[in-house]
Amino acid sequence: MIRRHSRSAMFMHWFNAICWIFLLFSGFALLAGEMQPVGQWWRNLWVGIFGDRGLLVAHLAVGTIWVAVYVLYILLFCRREVLPFLREVTTFHMKSDIEWCMKKGLWLVVGPKRTMKMGIDPTLPPQGFYNAGQRMVAVIAVIASVGLAVTGVVMGFFSGNVDYAVSETVLQWCIFIHFCCAGIMAIFLPVHIYMAALAPGEGPALRSMFTGFVPEHHAEHHNPLWYASLKKNS
Amino acid sequence: MARYVMVIDSEKCMNCKACIIACQQRNHVPYGISRNWVHETDSDSSPCGSKFQPGACMHCDDPSCVRACPTGATWKAADGTVEIDRSRCIGCGSCIEACPYHARFRHPVTGTADKCDYCHGSTPGQTPACVAVCPVHCRIFGDADDPSSEVAKVLASRKAVHIIPVGSGAKPTLTYLDTTTPAELPAGNTVSHPVDTMRPLAKGVTWVGGLVLAALTGTFVRQLVKSSEKEDEEIAAEKKAASSADKHEKEDNA
Repeated sequence: MIRRHSRSAMFMHWFNAICWIFLLFSGFALLAGEMQPVGQWWRNLWVGIFGDRGLLVAHLAVGTIWVAVYVLYILLFCRREVLPFLREVTTFHMKSDIEWCMKKGLWLVVGPKRTMKMGIDPTLPPQGFYNAGQRMVAVIAVIASVGLAVTGVVMGFFSGNVDYAVSETVLQWCIFIHFCCAGIMAIFLPVHIYMAALAPGEGPALRSMFTGFVPEHHAEHHNPLWYASLKKNS
Repeated sequence: MARYVMVIDSEKCMNCKACIIACQQRNHVPYGISRNWVHETDSDSSPCGSKFQPGACMHCDDPSCVRACPTGATWKAADGTVEIDRSRCIGCGSCIEACPYHARFRHPVTGTADKCDYCHGSTPGQTPACVAVCPVHCRIFGDADDPSSEVAKVLASRKAVHIIPVGSGAKPTLTYLDTTTPAELPAGNTVSHPVDTMRPLAKGVTWVGGLVLAALTGTFVRQLVKSSEKEDEEIAAEKKAASSADKHEKEDNA
């Protein structure tokens, strides 16, 4: 078995997952009319549980905890985890990354046999610690998270604040950016959940988010470049 | 269900502003701002040199403020009133920007949007303060669908006039009788661009999100029926069998 995730990274992953899902669900429930992307029933469901004011307070409270814990994590683990993670996810190899995404899509949707019949070799280009899909979603998630956190803090602090007022135009742009970031993540989050938890062959990777370890053969097969660098360093 | 309407005979107004003071008092609106107003227009035909036009929230049908609100904190109620729920309002000011009559403002104490609600919030069931206090009875309020009400009677017997800001397309329910000055209001900003753009974006999220979920469900079912991992194993077994057959053939030839 090879250690893949530190305890702090695992904690932040699951903390993030719980907060994200709650914030996304409750955030969409705060919207109304033509700006409600799920449907009025969704709003009624959440307002029924939390009440009108309670829903806003719960969204703000969880959002504040999420931002605070993340700021603390970034400060404490900046060199050890945050910067290496950012370096890893922003290292793109365009040609092979696009090839990986297309072939992985074909592998899942039409299967390797039909892919071969189409004259395409289904062998995936070798990947490092993160595969191309994970790196792409990670970059989008980081940008969306920064957008959500900054606009969320501005709205949370200044909305209805009569002592420290900010221009209403600023608040309106904050709502817009907050909604755009949440909308993008609402589209990518289910893809991540399927690819990481439900797609065939991802069991060991999912278990590693709880244990921190992956079997050697799994790393060799799914992340050959990372496996090779581990072998080289050891 | 009642359909509440305010009717104003502005020719009677003498600009005493008792309606503004009464509204501020009853609804605890701080001095310096008000839920209602009296517009003054210079006029040679008036004995005092000015014409007066009392006004307040027009309680429009299909109101632009309701369309602008992202949280549903304001809505057109079944009784014709445009209401605000402060517990839902996040104070973004989109509705304030969207009102072509500038009838809304940010309450300096609550930080939320505020406007005339026919005094429903402060004294439900009572006549609005501005109507009760008017010494010349130029404001009339009631259920327009009740034929015995004063409002229904004046609406049936006199000409109804609505003032609409240029280019706004507003559908006010506050009605003036026979004539009023000014006859129309200047155009103003009626759209909060960032919040207005959220409407088509929300549709985009619905459709793209729905398509992604459908595609993922389809892929999940496909993998349940026939796993790509199993296909990989079959391909590997076929390759292995082919290579061993090849090896045997080579050995036989040798």
